[in-house]
Amino acid sequence: MKILIDDLEVEVTHGETILTSARKAGIHIPTLCYHEAFEGQGRCRLCLVEVDCRGVKQVVTSCTYPVTEEITVRTSTPGIEKMRKNIVMLLYKQASASTILHDMYLEYGCSENSLSDNPEEKCMVCNLCVLACEEMGSSAISLIMRGTEKRAATPYDEASEVCLGCGACAAICPTQAIEVIERDGYRIIWNKKFTLLKCQHCGRSFATEEQLAYIDSKGKYADPDSLICLNCRRKMTAEKIGIFT
Amino acid sequence: MMPINNYRESRQILVCCGTGCQASGSMEVFNAFKSQLRSIEGVEVTASTKATGCNGWCEQGPLVKILPDDITYCLVKVKDVPRIIEKTILNQEIVEQLLYRDPVSKKRIKSHHQLNFYRKQKKIALRNIGEIDPASIDDYIARDGYQALKKAFSMSALDIINEVIASGLRGRGGGGFPTGLKWLSCFKQQETKRYIICNGDEGDPGAFMDRSIMEGDPHTVIEGMLICALALGASSGYIYVRDEYGLAVNNLRQAIQDARDRSLLGHDIMGQGYSFDIEIVRGGGAFVCGEETALMASIEGNVGEPRDKYLFPAEKGLWGYPTIINNVETWANIPVIINQGAQEFTSIGTEKSTGTKVFSLVGKVVNTGLVEVPMGTTLREIIFEIGGGILKGRRFKAVQTGGPSGGCIPADLLDLELDFDSLSKAGSMMGSGGLIVMDERTCMVEVARYYLNFLAGESCGKCVPCREGIRRMLEILSRICDGKGQSGDLELLEDLAETVRDASLCGLGKTAPNPVLSTIRYFRDEYLAHIEEHQCPAGICRSLTRFSIDPEKCTGCSLCKKNCPADCIIGELKEAHWIDINKCIKCGSCVDTCKFEAVVIGKEGGK
Repeated sequence: MKILIDDLEVEVTHGETILTSARKAGIHIPTLCYHEAFEGQGRCRLCLVEVDCRGVKQVVTSCTYPVTEEITVRTSTPGIEKMRKNIVMLLYKQASASTILHDMYLEYGCSENSLSDNPEEKCMVCNLCVLACEEMGSSAISLIMRGTEKRAATPYDEASEVCLGCGACAAICPTQAIEVIERDGYRIIWNKKFTLLKCQHCGRSFATEEQLAYIDSKGKYADPDSLICLNCRRKMTAEKIGIFT
Repeated sequence: MMPINNYRESRQILVCCGTGCQASGSMEVFNAFKSQLRSIEGVEVTASTKATGCNGWCEQGPLVKILPDDITYCLVKVKDVPRIIEKTILNQEIVEQLLYRDPVSKKRIKSHHQLNFYRKQKKIALRNIGEIDPASIDDYIARDGYQALKKAFSMSALDIINEVIASGLRGRGGGGFPTGLKWLSCFKQQETKRYIICNGDEGDPGAFMDRSIMEGDPHTVIEGMLICALALGASSGYIYVRDEYGLAVNNLRQAIQDARDRSLLGHDIMGQGYSFDIEIVRGGGAFVCGEETALMASIEGNVGEPRDKYLFPAEKGLWGYPTIINNVETWANIPVIINQGAQEFTSIGTEKSTGTKVFSLVGKVVNTGLVEVPMGTTLREIIFEIGGGILKGRRFKAVQTGGPSGGCIPADLLDLELDFDSLSKAGSMMGSGGLIVMDERTCMVEVARYYLNFLAGESCGKCVPCREGIRRMLEILSRICDGKGQSGDLELLEDLAETVRDASLCGLGKTAPNPVLSTIRYFRDEYLAHIEEHQCPAGICRSLTRFSIDPEKCTGCSLCKKNCPADCIIGELKEAHWIDINKCIKCGSCVDTCKFEAVVIGKEGGK
């Protein structure tokens, strides 16, 4: 099936979202809460586009709208740009410590207004950390509370029993809002302290005990006695197949 | 002539045991009737005492109706019971003092049917409420209950759906989507496993129509769902009830069990080889779970967050299966439509909004309660004829319709004929049917702030425009109420409101700006008074208000002084009083009590 995105004909499969179709065709639609690893969430609403379906125009989030018939899409109209600008402004005002949001605030040319800043905050409640944690298999964090109080946390903000300290949440966070402290062979994340294991090869800390134990329990860790970090493992494999000889 | 004992036996005493009347002690009244009637020797009349659901006229509860005489007693206390038995039950006399006294004509009115409050109403969804004992399936059956289901078994699936389409019934939960078309869309799905849901998560502050139906006539909801299930071949359904509605849950549970026992629900219904069962799910107290996709997420055991509806629940709903979700009141209309036919139904209401709508009429109105009127009834008829006008003879200022994300409609639009379309055109919405009447002592900026504050806590917080937009609109409204409004605030509010309306994910966010936009549209001057003149004309915003007493008008009656909770009014009897502004907490009780309009609402920092 073919659809029109910004006058460009794009080939799509039935049920594919507008966002993935557009990206395949090299058309940029801005997103914040979207990550290729997960289905679209429709949270940040930055990816809003205008869809014309049989003459009926509708503003939809491209990350959740499944293409099921021939449509015409406009990724940028004055109305949509205005909404995006307001969304970026609202996000920056709430998570004013985030550099990426600050950059976007400038990029979108948001005008100064009388709304207050929130200078300590970096989190924009995009839920990607929760999805990453779920994907890792722990579900140690979730979004708690509702309305303007909503935020990501472990149950009762206490150290979670199931947290592996893997840091997937922090790695995926678009605004670097999750604090990870690493020193003296320890890692502190979500109010929990983890012992880091050192690579037998290069000596660098590379994973938490809980992380390896979890991987072990899934039977996917080849050699539990040799602790070798991903970097060294790559090098060793390369040597084995003779790339660096 | 009828023998006296038989005559007594034929009396029915209906005691309203809806939540409103129960709060006023109706269960005690009901029990007093039961025990005292039992103790009358040689007379067996206990069987005719009935606890009914809500009559709607909560202002005058507990209500006791005596049939067949058609007598309605108001504000009945336990101590009145012996008198009612002695006079009315045994001697056919009326207890005058317990009859409602019309405030205008000062006449006592014998039956509630003679009251404007009921005369103007047309009961379809509420047809059985107050007339039957909700715990008795026989009562329901005696009033044509389950006849529609029986008829539906003789109809084809498409006939049932077409009848609902022809009736023009639109969803009573707020959206106003044509119910029959929704069913048809579900019917056309390839997937044959389907679910039926009743949305009983009524969360609007001050709204209680769905509660009333679930409490007072639970079988009508079950029958409505059964008919839809039959048409769509669904085998299981859910009734999602908010957790606070304990009585509704009890009555529904009892009704489901009774219906199963009579083979009207569960396996092999009416011996027709068709099975359908209903499970009750109790909500967790989140307002947003009244939104259908959030409600389904909640049933699935997930966080109550809505999802985009590019695929409707009728296509992909509960656990990914086609699902029909309708509101309690919508379900209550179904048996009547099937029984009496679509034509009868379309003869009521307006062309595009057929049938009736139940409103919960609350606020500064004389008769608060539940009213069911044909669509197209004007606000004036509801508020002034049925509602009896504004309390204390004050001036009407606005009516807030459609729950927290509805809008405020001003006096100019009192002749607006209420239906789905006229309300959205006026910048408000039908919502689930809340009508909150406001008088002149209401600050419209504060009203908008109040609702936004509610929504800030009740938005699910998933999407940015709703969560952050409401947060910021609330920030601006709060500072305007605090006297710190700035020039440009109104424009910023309007700009934000537009984005929230157009970019939000679900109905909650899309309608959240209504309280702001409708009050700016109709009461712009009041906003400007706050921002530019630092004055709250209604005398509600404390930072902007200073009360004083006009010595020319004050008669020194001392009423304000007696009522002042801060003891800040000073003055001798029959001499002009004055207010010590250092002690004044600006509650406004002096304004409300003064009969001579001597209390002046002034500007803080002014004279």
